[in-house]
Amino acid sequence: MAITALIIFSWTLIGIAMVVLSAYAVRHYYLAYSRMCIAHPRETNELVGFVMPRITVFVPMHNEERVARDILQALVDCDYDWKLLEVIPINDRSTDGTRAIVDDFARRYPFIKPYHRSEGNGGKPAALVDATVNSTGEIYLMFDADYVPGRAVLKMLTAPFLDPEIGAVMGRVVPHNIGDSLLSGLLSLERSAGYQSVQQARYNLGFTAQFGGTVGGVRAAALRAVGGWNPESLTEDTDLTFALLLNGWRTAYVNRAECYEEVPQDWGVRRRQLSRWVTGHTECLHNYWPDLVRARFLTRGEKWDAIFLLAMYLTAPIIVLGWLASLVLFFVPEAHAVPVLPIAMLIIGYQLFSNQATFLEIGVATLLDGTRLRALLMPLSLLNFFANTGAICNALRKFYWNRFWGSGGDGDGWYKTHRTRPGSDGKGFGLNHTKVEGMGD
Amino acid sequence: MLFLIYSVLFLALFYLHFALAHRAWITIRGKRSSELDMSYVRLEDYFGQSFRRKLKHWLATLPAASNSTANLLVFHHGQERIFVAPSVQYPSGRVEKEILVAEGTFSCGNNCDFRREVMVHGDCSIGEGTSLQAIAADGALSLGEAVSVRRWVDAAGKLTIGAHSAISSRATSRTAIEFLPGAHAQSLFAPEIATEGRNDDAAELSSKPVTVVQIPHRPDDPQKAHNGFDPQKLFSMGGGTYAYEGDLDITAPLHLRAPLVVRGHFSCAKESLLEADVKAHRNITIGPASVVKGNLVCDGDMLLKPDVYFQSILQAGGTMRLSFGVRGLREKLPVAAHSTGVLTLESNIVINGKVSSAHRVIAIATPLAWLQPNPTRA
Repeated sequence: MAITALIIFSWTLIGIAMVVLSAYAVRHYYLAYSRMCIAHPRETNELVGFVMPRITVFVPMHNEERVARDILQALVDCDYDWKLLEVIPINDRSTDGTRAIVDDFARRYPFIKPYHRSEGNGGKPAALVDATVNSTGEIYLMFDADYVPGRAVLKMLTAPFLDPEIGAVMGRVVPHNIGDSLLSGLLSLERSAGYQSVQQARYNLGFTAQFGGTVGGVRAAALRAVGGWNPESLTEDTDLTFALLLNGWRTAYVNRAECYEEVPQDWGVRRRQLSRWVTGHTECLHNYWPDLVRARFLTRGEKWDAIFLLAMYLTAPIIVLGWLASLVLFFVPEAHAVPVLPIAMLIIGYQLFSNQATFLEIGVATLLDGTRLRALLMPLSLLNFFANTGAICNALRKFYWNRFWGSGGDGDGWYKTHRTRPGSDGKGFGLNHTKVEGMGD
Repeated sequence: MLFLIYSVLFLALFYLHFALAHRAWITIRGKRSSELDMSYVRLEDYFGQSFRRKLKHWLATLPAASNSTANLLVFHHGQERIFVAPSVQYPSGRVEKEILVAEGTFSCGNNCDFRREVMVHGDCSIGEGTSLQAIAADGALSLGEAVSVRRWVDAAGKLTIGAHSAISSRATSRTAIEFLPGAHAQSLFAPEIATEGRNDDAAELSSKPVTVVQIPHRPDDPQKAHNGFDPQKLFSMGGGTYAYEGDLDITAPLHLRAPLVVRGHFSCAKESLLEADVKAHRNITIGPASVVKGNLVCDGDMLLKPDVYFQSILQAGGTMRLSFGVRGLREKLPVAAHSTGVLTLESNIVINGKVSSAHRVIAIATPLAWLQPNPTRA
């Protein structure tokens, strides 16, 4: 009796896993296909430079003396009219030389107005809440301190705000340290797929893009309309995306507004980064799904897309449960009574269909980016997949433990992602370029 | 032993799956990406500027070839040859395969074919039916009828694009562009772009008082639907922006005072005043002689009826049509109109800035039947 129940339970788990993962696979195929087929992606490139509101650029900094000069110099070098520009470096309780660097820039450039923060809660959202109070821009743009914007990025990020429905905008981050470790190389593929394929495809299809908290911006009036930054959230960017969406505001995606970032080079840093994203994202799912289902502004397709996006990390434990159920069925002889061939064919068919979906997205992205050599790394993404699955399951375990049984000190808090770029003291972009054949150079 | 052989074979087969990835990783390891051009800035006349810069550099650094004469300097740049002459006149039907630089004026007869770029330091006149690769002129540039340009056109002086001419890419001028009927290009950018039949007489506005629809409506305005506006369908998105559920086809002049998102079609009657941005999920139609101070964005088609005056940016996901007498200008910044579909410019249009399309911008002559009597003034 118990064995029969176990077999039925295992088959049920496998069935659920196949249905959920197939639904995600269909979504991946649809997005990749649409990204390839739309001749004219939704974009505002032709209108760059014609939309020039007053903007405030926030750069949250916590002990960033190595990279502070580079980002500030890059912002000074941008081709945005200085009369319409305000840069607020948020020196959030730094104990190194960040303050001196920021003050030095402020003395030389009147549009740089530092905000020194010595108390209050830690974390970027809390710092942004405080710094926003005295800002004067109609549009707020954000860059993390280790990012390096190109000269035209401010104008590119500002252009979509000509549309009154756009509440936020997201640019594209491009990993710079692709060859520093295998992980960073694989993460560059993941980022390509995430931005070039998925973000652009979703935006083309009329779904809201996802604001990522850096290389992006928000309309000041829209931010105020949704109550400002959520300092309680670990992913204030995702939280803001959906708070805006529920009030009728959309997030635009600008694929051409590219900015270099440093991706994690070791699995420990990556695991912690992923853990924070999983926690924040899943928190948003629980906070917003009832409102999303009821939202009057959204079409059925938009609601499904939003739920799929917020629930994406839940696929990891579903996969693991499917694996465990398969093992149970393999080792329990009574389970072998079922007709093996049709079921095996079904599972193989499902594997062929579903497992290729994310690879297709990566392939489309590398094709569009022209990064031919990097595309060859794709089979090694399996390593990333297994490591991500483990990290996500662990983060979800902690999240639900804290949610149902209260915090046991095992939760995730804010932490600063480890910086690897040495910086260049503001001379050039602080980026060490080595050309690689066939990588879109 | 057999087990060992099987194991080795299995491992070899397994490795083959990753062999290319392994080789790629060996190449990439230790390298950093350089795919972004960090110093890129967007310039509307980039092609013309870039060509001038390169040409100047070549002429300053390359030695003149031995077959040069007093009136024709020849330079070799790889497989290309650059001809430099003082002033040039080409007869009709001439085919030129070299890069050409005219230090003075340049003119050519009909049906010539210039297969490489042309640079003219003075004024320039191109005959009917001529084919060009690309052309830059430091003076005025006049393209005759049915001239076709495979790439771009750039002039420091006035640029005249003749009737039925075709420019595959950008047309730019630092002075003005005259865009004659039947001509098309992908984009036009100049301090002033005008189509044929320019008439700067101001439109005559209605003298009798009419009902004006205010959005957002005032508390003492009627709460029932009137003139195509239903206040029950209007709600605040916060931040001073409003959304309207469904189509909004206003039959009286509209005074829009706050940004508005219409989840359907949007149209307003003649002599409306739009002081804020409008976004429509479908089409936008602006009534004759209206004043548009905010941006207009729609996912569908956009139509500006005669004598509309806009001071902003227009963006359409479908086609766009600017009717007879439309004017676009504002202080400090140029205006812009961009559509994903075809952008049609009728007669008597003046725009200070840019018009562009992912397909093409085309000029047409407004049919006389539409102008007699004038639809606005009727």
